[in-house]
Amino acid sequence: MIGRDQMHRASALLTLMLLILGFAMASPAFFSVNNGLTILLQTSVIGLLGIGLTLVIITGGIDLSVGSVLALSGVVSAMSVKAGLPVMPAMCVGIIAGAACGAFNGVVITRLRIPPFVATLGMMLIARGVALQLTGAAPISQLGEGFGWLGNGALFRMVEMQPNGFPRVIFPGVPYPAILLLVVAIAATYLLRRRRIGRHLYATGSNEEAARLSGVKVDWTKMYAYTMSGALAGLAGNVLMSRLVTAQPSEGVMYELDAIAAAVIGGASLSGGVGTISGTMIGAFIIGILRNGLNMAGVSAFIQQIVIGLVVIGAVWIDQVRNRR
Amino acid sequence: MSQQPLVEMIDIEKHFGGIRAVEHVSIDLYPGEVVGLLGHNGAGKSCLMRILAGAMIPSSGEIRVGGTPVRFGTPIDARDHGIETIYQTLALADHLDAPANLFLGRELRTRFGNLDEARMLRAAREVLARLNPNFRNLRDPVSSLSGGQRQVIAIARAIYFDTKVLIMDEPTAALGPSETAMVADLIRKLRADGIGIFLVSHDMHDVFELCDRVIVMNKGRIVGAHRIDEVTKDDVLSLIVKGELPADWSARNLEAAQ
Ligand SMILES: Nc1ncnc2c1ncn2[C@@H]1O[C@H](COP(=O)(O)OP(=O)(O)OP(=O)(O)O)[C@@H](O)[C@H]1O
Ligand SMILES: [Mg+2]
Repeated sequence: MIGRDQMHRASALLTLMLLILGFAMASPAFFSVNNGLTILLQTSVIGLLGIGLTLVIITGGIDLSVGSVLALSGVVSAMSVKAGLPVMPAMCVGIIAGAACGAFNGVVITRLRIPPFVATLGMMLIARGVALQLTGAAPISQLGEGFGWLGNGALFRMVEMQPNGFPRVIFPGVPYPAILLLVVAIAATYLLRRRRIGRHLYATGSNEEAARLSGVKVDWTKMYAYTMSGALAGLAGNVLMSRLVTAQPSEGVMYELDAIAAAVIGGASLSGGVGTISGTMIGAFIIGILRNGLNMAGVSAFIQQIVIGLVVIGAVWIDQVRNRR
Repeated sequence: MSQQPLVEMIDIEKHFGGIRAVEHVSIDLYPGEVVGLLGHNGAGKSCLMRILAGAMIPSSGEIRVGGTPVRFGTPIDARDHGIETIYQTLALADHLDAPANLFLGRELRTRFGNLDEARMLRAAREVLARLNPNFRNLRDPVSSLSGGQRQVIAIARAIYFDTKVLIMDEPTAALGPSETAMVADLIRKLRADGIGIFLVSHDMHDVFELCDRVIVMNKGRIVGAHRIDEVTKDDVLSLIVKGELPADWSARNLEAAQ
């Protein structure tokens, strides 16, 4: 378990370094503080989704609904603000909506015995449909400055007022989304490595029948994974919509694929029982930097898709080859 | 053996659609007794044992533990009554290491509810060393271990906890001669401690070496249940293959009794 995981993470980390090096040489603007912040912000959304997916993938499942759940959660938060709730409680309502979507996935998978692929594909359509229906497909804007705090704020930001009346940023600070990602990643790592539920997630994905015979509450464990994935999609949705200070019901299409890619590049195995948060974080940064770097280098969005598609296939292929030995 | 039986299974049936895996089977087990369960492939031995282990719910019938009727909905229920099982499939989580498998579902935890890895590792090292002094790869995922080593982990898991009844579904299938001898010693030792054992096996030698009684199943039914000293290997083979004792059996036994 340990040897193979570490190998995979080391090679992913090396890939990440090479990417950074390559893009830095291709475009000087890539290696600036501002672009670093942009990457951090972009990656925090993929990263949060990726952590949820890692939990699910470890159990041997998959969650295709996170992109849509992200949108629905953001919309629910925004509507709560419009309904008069303060920002913090409103965002909590959005996250709870995400968790509820995840729990629904869990029930469909464990009670109705529908395969995760199909169940979460259904939720992908349902959540998107609800988000569009609730908003009439129109973005919700004018949410007030408070709504933008989570996505746009930063810790230790230092700003100085210039004589001409314009503010000047001395130190841009650490964006809240990045801090949030770090906190969630540490919490999830702790959960997987030190808590019983983490052990049971691995056991369930490794051999579901064995886990059941050993006394693991397999259904409960899966419920937990999908609910967490939904809640984290909700959190990611709030980060994203907060950054835009607008709730976009059509936001987050195909984000699930970036998140799955992040987990798989980070070493999670789609057949279950394998995966780490640190690996997924590296994977998320690889995806984030790949997108950002290709953008900076002026590569078209179409070519970007092709590249990322190939990277995902490559990562899974390397994993397969390693498993076969 | 006039005491209370440890467990009784009374008129157990298990159907899968049209397949009758277990039909009207009643068996019991006393403290310090080893009962062999035999029968050709698909006879229903594993089904019967899985029902006792709480891993399968019977279509009908009753299970009693120490004379009290019980209902097992999950393997945890059976384990709470001291019934431990070594499954034919071993039931190990491949990606986890030996200590994690040993304590799966019953993890030791610290005061703060964290996994107590150090204590589990120590306990695993101790119990595995008792079963196989050469067991070293404690931190490797069990998928990388040999069939024999995996079987040792499955056995360790079944005897580490407070066991009253041990179900062994072909426990030596993947073992070499020295490990098989070790398991035989273990069975004798457990029997001496008053533990009751169901031993599912195809190995006639083991059965006659270790068992106090044999029960032979055929197509889901019991076709023979005998004290080991009233049958020969050929008698048991005949029960397994033909579903009945050789024609001269009762004559021979009468002779022996006189
Ligand atoms: N989950 C199941 N669903 C349907 N049929 C089953 C199931 N489990 C067992 N059976 C059937 O029940 C019958 C008895 O199987 P069982 O596994 O108990 O046999 P066995 O005596 O243990 O054989 P072996 O010596 O091969 O282990 C077989 O016909 C098998 O196909
Ligand atoms: Mg069997």
